[in-house]
This record gives sequence, C-alpha cells and structure tokens, in this order.
Amino acid sequence: MAAVKETVETVAALEKYEHGFTTEIDQEFAPKGLSEDIVRFISAKKDEPQWMLDWRLEAYRRWLELEEPDWAKVSYPKIDYQDTYYYAAPKTKEGPKSLDEVDPELLAVYEKLGIPLKEQAVLAGVEGAPRYAVDAVFDSVSVVTTFKKELAQAGVIFCSMSEAIREHPELVRQYLGSVVPTSDNYFACLNSAVFSDGSFVYVPPGVRCPMELSTYFRINAKDSGQFERTLIIADKGAYVSYLEGCTAPMRDENQLHAAVVELVLLDDAEIKYSTVQNWYPGDPETGKGGIYNFVTKRADCRGDRSKVSWTQVETGSAITWKYPSCVLRGEGSSGEFYSIAVTNGHQQADTGTKMIHLGANTKSRIVAKGISAGKSTSTYRGLVSAHPKAKGARNFTQCDSLLIGKECAAHTVPYIEARNGQSVFEHEATTTRLSDDQLFYCQQRGLSQEEAVALLVNGFVKDVLQQLPMEFAVEAQKLVAISLEGSVG
Amino acid sequence: MTLALKTSASTTLPSRRDEDWRWTDLYGLLRTLPAPSPRIAETLQPGGPFKGLAKAELAIANGRHNWWPGADSKTVEFFEHQSPDNPYAPEELPMAAMAAEQALEPPVSIIQFNGDDVALLRLVTEATETSHHARVGVVVKTGVSATLLESYEGKGGRYLSNTLIEIIVEDGASLERVVIAEDAEEGVGVSTAIVRIAPGAKFAQTVLTSGARRQRIETRVNHPGAQAEARLDGAYLLDAQRHADLTTVVTHAGVEGVTSQLTKGMVTDQARGVFQGRIVVSPGADQTDARMGHHALILSEKAEIDAKPELLIFADDVSCAHGNTIGALDEDALFYAEQRGIPQAEAKAMLTVAFVGEVVDRIEHEGAREIAAAWVARKLGSV
Repeated sequence: MAAVKETVETVAALEKYEHGFTTEIDQEFAPKGLSEDIVRFISAKKDEPQWMLDWRLEAYRRWLELEEPDWAKVSYPKIDYQDTYYYAAPKTKEGPKSLDEVDPELLAVYEKLGIPLKEQAVLAGVEGAPRYAVDAVFDSVSVVTTFKKELAQAGVIFCSMSEAIREHPELVRQYLGSVVPTSDNYFACLNSAVFSDGSFVYVPPGVRCPMELSTYFRINAKDSGQFERTLIIADKGAYVSYLEGCTAPMRDENQLHAAVVELVLLDDAEIKYSTVQNWYPGDPETGKGGIYNFVTKRADCRGDRSKVSWTQVETGSAITWKYPSCVLRGEGSSGEFYSIAVTNGHQQADTGTKMIHLGANTKSRIVAKGISAGKSTSTYRGLVSAHPKAKGARNFTQCDSLLIGKECAAHTVPYIEARNGQSVFEHEATTTRLSDDQLFYCQQRGLSQEEAVALLVNGFVKDVLQQLPMEFAVEAQKLVAISLEGSVG
Repeated sequence: MTLALKTSASTTLPSRRDEDWRWTDLYGLLRTLPAPSPRIAETLQPGGPFKGLAKAELAIANGRHNWWPGADSKTVEFFEHQSPDNPYAPEELPMAAMAAEQALEPPVSIIQFNGDDVALLRLVTEATETSHHARVGVVVKTGVSATLLESYEGKGGRYLSNTLIEIIVEDGASLERVVIAEDAEEGVGVSTAIVRIAPGAKFAQTVLTSGARRQRIETRVNHPGAQAEARLDGAYLLDAQRHADLTTVVTHAGVEGVTSQLTKGMVTDQARGVFQGRIVVSPGADQTDARMGHHALILSEKAEIDAKPELLIFADDVSCAHGNTIGALDEDALFYAEQRGIPQAEAKAMLTVAFVGEVVDRIEHEGAREIAAAWVARKLGSV
C-alpha cells in the first residue's frame, strides 16, 4: 500500500512532464543538415582515425540509397533530415579530466534529474547500498563516466564510445557493426554515419561486473538529434547488468533520437539490459512536440549457453519505433524480453521484439504489457522464428494490452515462423480494459479512483517490474502512474 | 490509355513484398498470369465431396458456369448478373479485384436462399499451365437458415484458379459454409470470400484443405456487431511440398458483436502452412467479444508453419484474445499409445485426428460433419 500512496503523492506533486526543463549551456553545433562534410566534421571533432571515418562515410552513402520505413503503425509528418543539428556538445576547452572540471551548470542538470555523478555522493548513502557507475551523455557527447578506476581494477572497461575508439580500437573494430550492420535499416544506417557518442563496455572472461552500469541520455539542444551508439561485450562467462535512462526538455518541435545498441555475448556470458525511457512525449492536449524515438537494439548470443535479458519501461516519446532483439546463435542460449509500454495523450508506440532461434535448444520468453490511454496508440509487434537447425527451440510469448478511455487503440501484431519439427512455440494475447468490478472493489475499500487505477495498473505490469533492478522498479512504478495521470475520470 | 493501365494493375500477381502475401508469393512462382483456361468439353455430372447432401448445385468448371440443376427449387434460386461493379482495389485485394474483372462467363453467378435449404457450390478445375477466374454471389434472405457446401476440385498442374465469393447474410439469417479444398499438387488456388453480415445474423464457416503448390483461402467478414455472430474455423493438412494459407480478417463495426475462431494445422514432409488472422475492432464497437485460436503440429524436420494472429483494437470496452501454439506431437501421449501396443504410425494418426477433430466437431450440418470427419481421417491416413 505504501507504494500506492507514494505513487499518488508523486502524481499529485508532478503536474506534467517532470524533466521538461531546458538548460542554458554554452554549446557548439555542427552546421544544420546532413552531408558528407557533416560526417567528416563529426569524425574530425572526435579526432577519429581514418578507418572510423571511412566506416561512417560508407554508412552515409548507403543511407542515401535507403528509404524510410513506413510499415509501423505510426504516423508523423515527413522528417526533414536537413533541418536538424547532427552534432551539439557543451563547450569545453579539453575533455574534462575529473568531475571538478565539468561545467557546474551541467552538473546541476544531472542533480536536478537525480542522477548521481559524484562518486562520493553515491558512497555517502547507506552502507552496503548498491552502487551504479554512470556514463552521462548530454546531446552528442559523453560528459562524464564515473567509477572508471574501480571498474578497471576488475578488468571492466566502461567508457564513452569516443574514448573507446581512441583507447581500445582493436575491440571496437572487431565488434562495432557486427551485430547491427551499417545498412541494417534506415535509422541504424543514419546512426552509423553520424553517431556522436554512447557507452562502451567490455567485461573480460569470467568477470562478474562489480556494480550496475548505467548510461543517462539527455537531449538538451534545440533542433538537434541524438544519435548515440552503445556497444557491450560480455566475454566468456562474464556478467553485466546495464541500465539506460533518457529524458529531454519540453519543446514544440519534434526531435529525433536514432540510437543503436549492440550486445555481444560469448560462451556462458550474461547481459541484463534495462531501459527506463522517459523522453518528452509531446503536449498531452495538442500532441505538439516530443521525441521521435527510432532505435535499433540487438543482442547477439554468439556463445553457447549465453543469456540476454531486455527489460524496458517505455513511457515517453511522441513516437516509439523500437524492437530490442535477440539472435540466439549459440547452442542453449536464451533471450528474454520484458516490456511495459505506456502511451497517453497523442503518443504512438510501435514496439516489440524479435527472437531469432538459430542454435539448438535455444529458449526465449516474451512478456509485453501495453497500456494505452488518452488518444494514444500502442502496438506490440514481434517476431519469433526458428531456423531448421534450431532443434529443441522453445518460446513463450504473452502480450497483454490494457485500454483506458474511448479514444485510444491497442494492437498486437505477432509474426511466428517455425521451420523445424522439434520446436515449441506458444503465444497468447489479450486485450481488455480496467475491470469495473475491480475498480469498484478498490473504491469500496476507500481508495480514490486514481489510487485504484494505480493499484490495478501496477498489478497488470507486475510481471515486468519484477525483472527490473530494485531501485529502478520503484522508479518505473511511479513513472507508469505519472504517465497515466488524468486518463481516468 | 486508362484501360491499359487498369488491365495491367489487376493482372499483377501479389508477391512476398506485399505484407498480406509475405508467405504466399504468387509472383515469385508464376511471374505472370497464365493464359486463359480452355472450356471443359463435357458437362459435369453431379458430385464432388458433398455429393448427395443437396439437390441444388452450382458447378463452375474452369471459370465457366457449367451445371445448374435444382434451379426450379423455391428455396434456392440461381441467376446471373451481367454487369456487376468491381469495388476492390488491386493494392488491397489484388486477387479479388482480378477475379471481379476477369470473370466473364458469366461475370457473376448468384445463389439466393429464399428459404431454409442446402446448396452445393463446386469449383472444378481441369487445366495445365492456364488460369481462370470465377465470381459467385451468395445471398441469404432475412430470417432464412442456409447451408453452403463448397468444394474446390482441381486436376492438372501449374494452373491458377482464382475465385471471388461475395456473401450477404441478411437480418436474422444464418449461413453455415463448409469448404473442402482439394487442389492438384502442382496447382495454384486462390479463393477470396467477402462476407457481409447484417444485425442479428449468424455466419459460420469451416475450411478444410489439403493445400496445393500455392493456395490461399481468404475470408473477410464485415461484422456489424449488433448481436451478430461469426465463427471462422479451419484446418489444413499438408504433406509433400504443399502449401496452404488460411487468411481471415474480421472487422467489427458496431457494438455487441461476437467472433470465435479456431484453426488447426498439421504439416509434414516439406509442406508449409500459413495462418493469418486479423480481428479489427473499430472505434465505438464496444462489448465486442472476439477469440482466435491457431494451433498447429509440425511432424517432420523440413516442414514449416508461419502465423500472424493480429488484434487491432480501437475501442476500450472489449474482450479480445488470441492464442497460438506450434509444436510437435506430445511425446508422452505417443509413448502411452505405443506402450499399449499401438504401432507408432497408427498412434500418430490417432493423435492427429483427435487434434484436428475439434474443428470438425464444430460443424453444425450433420451430413457435412460426417463427410468432413471422413475426409480428415483419409488425409491423415488413419483409415
């Protein structure tokens, strides 16, 4: 009950989008628009080696030949790719050596967002409390990465992508683009050409990463897009849990976010990847503004018995186009996808997953919960496929949709392709609204309508919340309630 | 100029690039529409899989109206329509649009039920490397309870038989449609049924098919809600290199509609089964109750099943669900049967018949149910 009370209080305290503030920070931009020169500019700005520039240019040339996909159940005016900044960074003389050198304005932003960038501040908490190493990405660049030293002692490399290209080129060259090839899709291709920063993680064989790693993405600059690239490699027997959070200011213009996340898992490795996505969803009344979130996320379970788990809580963005996928190549590898997608106002979300079973005895599990309210649309789109060699493949999929209000829509579009006689696929889906009986029951026992809705919705998404690391589960629970604020009554 | 464009648009075969045809690529197989099929020389004799279940029979051979006995019946009327319109857009329903344009002898044959009765509709093909189109209208008048027993009987090879069936079930009427499709192994069969049901009406259908080189049996139901009920069942039993695609689209436009759907499949050898089911609940179509189930067995190493059960919901007070399972026969059940002295092949057949039996049991017309049960048993080799 305490959680419900907290939720209600949070809802009351926060009228609208909590993270919608803008920050006046001295920033530098690349000229607006996209061309080969811009790609060269970004590469030069980051002082990249020739091979990286060539890779980007190759991607840019391919992008020119691709067409923007239109199969998703989302509609938006045509994006003018020449009317956006592809590079925006807070002005600094040199890369900051320590937190003390970081612009205090910038630190204030993260403080306001509740992201612990000061290691001591984190340590000052309760003894034994779990700690998080954070890579903070502000518009196009990573501003700071915490706990690097401590992680290095365990052999874990956690740094920004730009730094990885400089310091660990052999790893980057080996793995970058090996999961999501340059020309994989329109948005991934665009990202490959102009990606500015992101996080890089390498966990060596047999190492269990001593703390949770996380990246916090913040879009701040006007008319800019964010194109980050994340690469996580878990070597044989390694384990890492990674969290990702995102917010952006409230603006009337739409902003583009086209990220690529690649996960590589070798034998017996395990990666747990959690996302709490809270980009600005646009004005709830008019639908104006908000982030276009076009993201490609994919995990490649190359090694035998490797395991990947995607957990996502999607509450923000005007448009979400995102399908975190698992390529289950290694024998006995397994993939999990747990998702909550909440849409309200005029939001549109087309999200789901792909489980591609290539190896024998591979297992996958999908639990997707969609909640639509207001005038929003939420679509689950998923693919489960088993290759002829994937003998003994096993999948279980459950997708449930909850509708709140007369004007929203919820769709379920699963694709199932079974190509051998020894796999078992199960899929079930339901679409309902909040039960009047249950609401009445709660209200009879003294809960207000808002409280009752929060309680029932939290029950509906419980299966997914349980998969999140504890602190984030509490956050996510609040977020779900806030996102649905004003949807009933 | 306009005519030329129109002709080319409606003779283009759908390919896997068309989302609704991603698993049934006609263009990839045939490239172009084969030349028109010749007339079958002899008049057909009454028959087909439902032989003896009805006096009224309409037989269409190679796309031409061929046989038409029982025309003097008061309860079932047959007639022709010479200048029907073509409301189908090639982008949306390419094969239906093609049939509406290319069916000529006659442009439409119509079966009208004025009273409770049963009629046979036979679509017979005897062709090799040619194509033909037929268009049939079925009208069930207000309050009438009718049964349509439809069969696809294909002989020859590499033909394309394309049929469009437009069904109207008027207020408070009911229609049960039972389809048995037996195309030639190398044939290509496409059948598109566009069903409009009125308030309070009932439409129930069961499609049984053994597939073809490529085969698609599609049903689109415009459901008004309003206490109308739709049941759409099907079973595909495929061996060798056969392919069958059961596609359904049910659009609920008004409040209080009921749809239930059960499709079962069995594939073996290198066969490929496809199920695409879409339930659309339009804005305001509250209190819709829609259930869809698709369950299939893969009995060989190289067979394949593709499924896409979709729910598109635009109203909040609804109860919709779908379930989809694909797997092998239950090892425990097989072991149990074998332990009791039943040879493996027989045990497999027994279990498969029981699995598909659920679909057959839902057929209401007794005679058709018996024929369907025997057909299934024969296909599964248990008889």
